[in-house]
Order: sequence, then C-alpha cells, then structure tokens
Amino acid sequence: MRRDVFQAIADPNRRAIIGLLSNQKLTLSDVAEHFAISRPAVSKHIKILAESGLVVVRQKGRQRYCEARLEKLNEVSEWVQQNQKQWKERLDRLDEYLTELQSAA
Amino acid sequence: MIRDTEPTGMSARGDLLITRMFDAPRELVWQAWTDPKHFKRWWGPKDYTCPVCEMDFRVGGKYLNCMRSPKGKDYWSTGVFREIILMERIVFTDCFADEQGNAVPATYYGMSADFPLEMLVTVTFEESGNGTRLTLKHEGLPGGSEGEGAGQGWNQSFDKLAESLK
Repeated sequence: MRRDVFQAIADPNRRAIIGLLSNQKLTLSDVAEHFAISRPAVSKHIKILAESGLVVVRQKGRQRYCEARLEKLNEVSEWVQQNQKQWKERLDRLDEYLTELQSAA
Repeated sequence: MIRDTEPTGMSARGDLLITRMFDAPRELVWQAWTDPKHFKRWWGPKDYTCPVCEMDFRVGGKYLNCMRSPKGKDYWSTGVFREIILMERIVFTDCFADEQGNAVPATYYGMSADFPLEMLVTVTFEESGNGTRLTLKHEGLPGGSEGEGAGQGWNQSFDKLAESLK
C-alpha cells in the first residue's frame, strides 16, 4: 500500500526514530537499542518510514544501515503553509462579514 | 539538505493551530459558522464565492460545500461532524470532494498526491471581553488500514487543546 509522509510522522515512535537519525546513520540494531518497544516493532516502523521515503535502508554486509531523508518533510511544511494561508483568508472574510452583520443590526 | 531541522513537534506533524479574535459576540460567531445562510457569505478565500453549502448539523451528519474561484473553478469539500458542543466546539472531518459529495484525493484538483486524504478540524469558540476568541486546529488524519496513531493520540491532542483554552 501507499505510504505518505503524514502517515509516517503520525506515530510518536516514528517521530522519535526520525529525530534519532536526523544527524547520524545508524544500524537497525542501534536504533532498536534506543527504544523500549521490541525489535520487530522498531523494524516495522522503519519499514513504514522507508516506504514513505523519510528513511533509506542500505544493506552493508550483515548490517542494515538507516539514514534519514529529511527533505521529505518539506512536503509537510508546504502543506501546512498552504492551509495556513487558506484559513487566514477565510477568517479575514468571516471578520468582515461579522462587522457587516453588526453594522446592519 | 536541512540537517538541523527538528522533525518533531506540531508543525512537523502537519498540525496547524490558528487563534483569532473577533469583535463580535460568541453567539453571532457561532451562528456565522453553523448556519449555511451565513456560512455561504464568508467561506473561501478573498474573491471566491460559496454557491453551495449543505449542512446536516448534528454529530454524524455530513456537509457539502462548494468554493468557486474568481475564474469560475469549483472546489467541493465534504466531511462529517464528529463532535458538536453548543457555542463551544465543533469537530469535523474535511476532505476534497466531487460535486456529488464523494471524497476525492487532492490530485483531483491538481494538488500533491502526498497530501492527506482526510483532515480533522476543531473549532473552539470562547468569550473574551466583548468579543470572541476562535481557535482552529487543523490536522492531517493518518490514512491506511492500520489506523496507527489515530484514536487515542488525536483525542489526547484535543484534551490538550481544551486544557490550553481554560
């Protein structure tokens, strides 16, 4: 199934994993060591992050290295900015309309 | 590369929180939001019109809105009211729709395929002096069959929002 960035960051553990990988490349075991949840659970979160493009996993010998692709988060800020602008414009108009309603009364 | 960006926190999750003061009584602001007759007068960005607004204003009820651009392009949106507390709070889902009211992805309107299919909007109305403070929370609902992060997590953020408004 298709994974998007929004779905990927909806989970607090996955946000923590991104935070952990934001300035270092780590093996899957290294990542798992930082969490109280089981290794298969961490593995599943990494898989979801990889499917959304936020994390790249590379096999090197027997180890799997995880690396964050933070530029994918730009999609989130782009979306937030677009929505912010839309809501601001709507609320501006609501403001004008409320003024109009009250001056008519 | 934006190596220094902190990926956690509100904005990284795609949440949006807007607070706005209105110089009008809460009852009137509530009315402007919940009565289609009023709603049609302001919904949409500057120079847009709202030719259609159908609201089944009760928990579980649906709405269907149309926003018309100055060039005449229509943008339909639909959703379900999840929570209604009279004069205090409205929670509803929000997604793009076709004119029959079927939910469609953002790509239907030429927007990014990565945008969430469904959003959750919480509008809170509060008296403040002679005016009204409106707080709007807009968040992307995680899609997918597993529904991870949905439910409990979202409810907690609502509680936090309510708490912060006390």
